[in-house]
Amino acid sequence: MKAVKVNFRINDEPVALEVKPYETLLETLRERLDLIGGKEACGLGSCGACTVIVDGIPLRSCLVLTPEVDGASITTIEGLARNGRLHPLQESFMEKGAVQCGFCTSGMILTAKALLDRNPRPARKEVVKTISSNICRCTGYKKIVDAVLDASLKNKAYHINN
Amino acid sequence: MILPKFNYKKAEDIAAAIALYEKAKGRARYLAGGTDLIPRVKLRLSTPGTIIDLKGIEQLHTISRQRGSLIIGANVTLFELKNHDVVKNHFPALYESLDATSCETLQMRGTIGGNILQNTRCLLYNKSLEWRTARGFCYKMGGESCNVVPGASECFSNYCSDNALSLLSLSASVNLAGPGGERKIKLEKLFSGNGRDPFTMRPGEILTEIRVPVKASSGAYEKLRVRNAIDYPLLGVAVSIRNGSGRVCVGGIGPAPRVYPLKDLSKTSLKEVAQHARQEAKPVSNAALSPGYRKKMVQTLTQRAVKRALKEEK
Amino acid sequence: MSDDLNIVGKRVVRSDTLAKVTGQARYTADLKFPNMLTAKVLRSPFPHARILGIDLSRALKVPGVKAAISGFDAYGVKWGVFRYTQDHAMLPTDKVRYVGEDVAAVAAVDEETALEALSLIKVDYEPLPAVFDPEEAMQEGAPQIHEAYQNNINIHVHIDVGDVDRAMAEAFLVREDTFKAAGEAYAMMEPYAVVASYANGFLELWMPNAGPHVRAKALSNLLKMPLNRVRVRHIYSGGAFGGRSEVSPGDLVASLLSIKAGRPVKLVLSREENATSTRQIHDMIATVKTGMSRDGTIVAKDYRVIYDGGAYSSTGPIATSIPFYVYEECYRFPNVRYNGYRVLTNKGIRGMYGCHGRAFLAGNESQMDLMAKELGLDPVDVRLKNGLSSGEMTATKSLITSCGLAQTIARASESTHFKEKWPKAKRGKGIGMGCIAIMCGFPMGFRSGSACYVKMNDDGQATIVTGVVDNGQGNESVVIQVASEVLGIPMEDINLINADTEATNLDPGAYSQAATFVGANAVRVACENARRKITAIAAEKLGVPAEDLDLKDRMVFSMTTPDKKMPVRWIVREAFFRGDPIAATGSYFPKIDIEREWVSRPWGQMAGTFSFGTSVAEVRIDSHTGRITVPRFTAAHDCGRPINPMAVEGQMEGSIQQAGIAAIMEGNLWDHGFLLNPDLLEYKVPLACDMPEIDTIIISSMDPEGPFGAKEGGLTIRMNAYSAIACAVTNATDALFTELPLTPDRVLTILERKKGVKK
Ligand SMILES: Cc1cc2nc3c(=O)[nH]c(=O)nc-3n(C[C@H](O)[C@H](O)[C@H](O)COP(=O)(O)OP(=O)(O)OC[C@H]3O[C@@H](n4cnc5c(N)ncnc54)[C@H](O)[C@@H]3O)c2cc1C
Ligand code: SF4
Ligand code: FES
Ligand code: FES
Repeated sequence: MKAVKVNFRINDEPVALEVKPYETLLETLRERLDLIGGKEACGLGSCGACTVIVDGIPLRSCLVLTPEVDGASITTIEGLARNGRLHPLQESFMEKGAVQCGFCTSGMILTAKALLDRNPRPARKEVVKTISSNICRCTGYKKIVDAVLDASLKNKAYHINN
Repeated sequence: MILPKFNYKKAEDIAAAIALYEKAKGRARYLAGGTDLIPRVKLRLSTPGTIIDLKGIEQLHTISRQRGSLIIGANVTLFELKNHDVVKNHFPALYESLDATSCETLQMRGTIGGNILQNTRCLLYNKSLEWRTARGFCYKMGGESCNVVPGASECFSNYCSDNALSLLSLSASVNLAGPGGERKIKLEKLFSGNGRDPFTMRPGEILTEIRVPVKASSGAYEKLRVRNAIDYPLLGVAVSIRNGSGRVCVGGIGPAPRVYPLKDLSKTSLKEVAQHARQEAKPVSNAALSPGYRKKMVQTLTQRAVKRALKEEK
Repeated sequence: MSDDLNIVGKRVVRSDTLAKVTGQARYTADLKFPNMLTAKVLRSPFPHARILGIDLSRALKVPGVKAAISGFDAYGVKWGVFRYTQDHAMLPTDKVRYVGEDVAAVAAVDEETALEALSLIKVDYEPLPAVFDPEEAMQEGAPQIHEAYQNNINIHVHIDVGDVDRAMAEAFLVREDTFKAAGEAYAMMEPYAVVASYANGFLELWMPNAGPHVRAKALSNLLKMPLNRVRVRHIYSGGAFGGRSEVSPGDLVASLLSIKAGRPVKLVLSREENATSTRQIHDMIATVKTGMSRDGTIVAKDYRVIYDGGAYSSTGPIATSIPFYVYEECYRFPNVRYNGYRVLTNKGIRGMYGCHGRAFLAGNESQMDLMAKELGLDPVDVRLKNGLSSGEMTATKSLITSCGLAQTIARASESTHFKEKWPKAKRGKGIGMGCIAIMCGFPMGFRSGSACYVKMNDDGQATIVTGVVDNGQGNESVVIQVASEVLGIPMEDINLINADTEATNLDPGAYSQAATFVGANAVRVACENARRKITAIAAEKLGVPAEDLDLKDRMVFSMTTPDKKMPVRWIVREAFFRGDPIAATGSYFPKIDIEREWVSRPWGQMAGTFSFGTSVAEVRIDSHTGRITVPRFTAAHDCGRPINPMAVEGQMEGSIQQAGIAAIMEGNLWDHGFLLNPDLLEYKVPLACDMPEIDTIIISSMDPEGPFGAKEGGLTIRMNAYSAIACAVTNATDALFTELPLTPDRVLTILERKKGVKK
């Protein structure tokens, strides 16, 4: 199996790598790039813990082959804070108590970010629908939904930050 | 969970994809969103030597209108399709089935072609190699029996596409291109009815587009599932009605969806269809919820879907 | 100390969340060390089989393989939490007892190599007849899983208080029903993982665990290594819910491999392995017989409960008891008999669970409602009448010292208009209430207490050292908050060293609801001791009596003349000059009856205190499909004083998901010894769209013993949310459930059974 050359941007940094053709994006991020914020909770696309944003779209990175994202622009949880300032979603997740064990958190935040990027002021119903893509075992989701809505109200800050 | 070894190739156009397939001597699989294929490969249910990525093929990514049909490229994602005006305005059954498919994140990755061509499922089949080896290989894995219904001569795995059902209710057809040329078939002809190998696709064939006649319809999609997102259908019923007649399609039970024409909208014929659909459904204990219940629900959800479709028609 | 608190009781941002929202928090699978190897485990394909031989030689020849082991490389020790349950070798050499059991393992330079090597291990098995149903397993002639347990009865808990038979005979109304429930999956989002690193005679370990000290002890026994050479380190943990309290086979596997290879070894289980080979939750069959007097007083209870224990003892004696105790800690039972049997079967091992006991508890509560209805009473009155209150003794002689049960019932029913809605239930719409009490800690011998060490650093900041462990529920933040309150310095000034067996003191761990009541109490005592040293010096310097001093915002100040003040930092430095730095220890040992034993002496003070809670569920049932939806769920919890109300709410909300909504969707599915849903797709963890509108009510009862009056943060809802759901379904259908979860097929059966029956 010949290694595949890939080039992409991760958190605004260009990256050039040689990867296995059968390597998932989650493996590349975690094992090669030490971006361990994305988690493998199921490995089969059922839970969303591995979600990262690729060209604006939330993807389950355990189901994506790294060669598939050649040329793409990828955002992981590590890329959300800018210049020492947390992203509004990160702040709201902290302030609203939306984090317990934290294993689902990066996937949740990134899923929510992709939503706010396309719809800055979602209704509660829409937030619920979007985060129903991800499993959280700890929180009962209420505070997660509250946090996403709270972040959406920090609209201005949100847009400056992005 | 690591993947087994394979080569990765990306095709620029359909001809190139077919050529890659032929070069791999049949040990290849096409890749669209990968949300069905990659879990299968991880579980060693499919072990291709080469994976041919179709996402670089521009032609497969468009939606257009031609001679009274909506032409949907196979690589259009479920989310894009759901938000397309024609779907929203003319195909309520399709809109509802798209909206009910898995979850938003997977809708953004999964394609309509991949959705139609997803393999059939069974609780005793979609498992790791270790699990399956311990339990013993069944028909669908090349074994000699069914592990759910001992003594049966067939495989009862379930076809779990939500959207094939609504497309069938809308009388969709599909275009296929392969080493032997192109062909156009009615969507229902795509299904073999054999759980071991559920499609009539010929080796190397690519599903290029789906055609749906653009005529306003009323319709509905009813889905039986435990959770309101992520879950595959345990039963799906799509109904589309145009000008006083329509089609009902039942899926999620057994390897192929079943289509029932609604010749008229009289109460008796509606009831007959619902009963008939129930009689024909043969669920077995290979999915969550009991088979007896799923069978019963065929009638209930058919009636419900028809009722909703009719209400809309008025 | 002044009464208005600065930090305790406030909705503070948890101390661990910054690391979690930035992706910096490291969980076990995230660890990387130089030369680290990857481990993979070969598992039993049989539910029951004799092991005739294991040949590792071909696996060892694979290039890149650095070690391979089986049970024959271990030390022949069997672990058990109790002296009478030592039956678990972790890696068996006699026979395998369930599909998925760990049999052999390899460590290699990468996963591909390890997988290849696994396929070359040869195990000779002689398959044996297996048994999967606990009632069958109890029959004469059933396959015997362990020599030690006749008829596969692993544990029998027998309790008999008063004169049950007589009271039952005299009761006005008697009812007996049997309730079943499928076992659940913990489904913690983090699949099990362990890193073991052996060097220079010391073994270091990282794994998600709910009690580092008990874990180290078990491993020191299994490895025949002195306890001080086994060091379980601190690591973030992606959920436990009771499932990570015990040593796991993977711990032994990784340790043995690391010892053999002399390199760090990482073992990460797949989701499927996590489900089949770690712990699952007991399936249950509960027969509940209740006698009531005409006015709704419970006069007698007679129980027979069968717990499917899977293949080994695990925490069996505790698991066989807890559902009963949380119920007797809630209601007055003058006459009660309990026969709990934990029966072994050839299935995965069953452990304790935060929501353990749903067939029993939901069964009791919904049966009570039906009886109340027959007597023309309503559930609220019956619960208030039978509920225990402060100063009362439970049937097995635990004194209740503080009790907010009545308030939780009152507040939950008022806010839901329960009393108006309940009698008006229609088919298809119902409301139900569940109550429970929870012990905060339980007897664990000398491990029942906790100790803390605190030192003040030269910048006026503090370091606290405690065995308290956090599995995601926020225990770390709680102890920091408590220390911050006592020492008068902000939370960010407190450094925490915790859950590291080399540095920290013994602690009961995070699975008996003791983290706040016991662990944080020890932190409070240690900090108060340090505070006394601070105020003593300050009193001298400021010329005011020590009693007049308070600590706040990094300052010591006189309460009567607030101008008299000085920074804590100065005092710390002064103490260094005096050669007596500000440092202190403190411990807390709950007032419990240490003689109490789960099987041999099931009476005496169970815990230092008890928390209480009431859940109210409102359900709708689709009469054509049997599908239940839950538009609203209200939960009231008496947690003593909430240390961080936001965290308490979070626990309650999670409980509504994990016990409440779970009651309509979660359950393991089995095909003989094969788990059919060992994943996150077919195992139905409720999603955001499945959740009701939630209302949480915190009742502060101010426990006299707890730190700042605190007890525990939300577990009652974990043990009564399913009861509320089941009762609501009973209210809507006028019938009892027979089996949980209440999936639509089962609900439709209930409806159809009832059809035509007019009441
Ligand atoms: C957790 C989870 C839940 C899900 N729930 C649902 C659900 O509720 N309902 C539902 O319908 N589906 C569900 N799915 C399945 C899947 O996500 C969707 O069906 C999706 O639309 C598949 O599209 P894809 O592009 O990802 O397919 P892929 O995985 O890329 O392809 C699927 C199959 O089709 C073949 N293929 C793809 N495109 C072509 C083509 N153009 N020509 C020839 N062959 C092709 C592939 O070789 C493969 O065999 C779920 C999946 C997951 C992981
Ligand atoms: S239905 Fe039978 S043959 Fe088909 S996949 Fe399931 S077990 Fe195998
Ligand atoms: S780990 Fe990728 S979806 Fe669960
Ligand atoms: S916080 Fe634990 S899984 Fe979401």
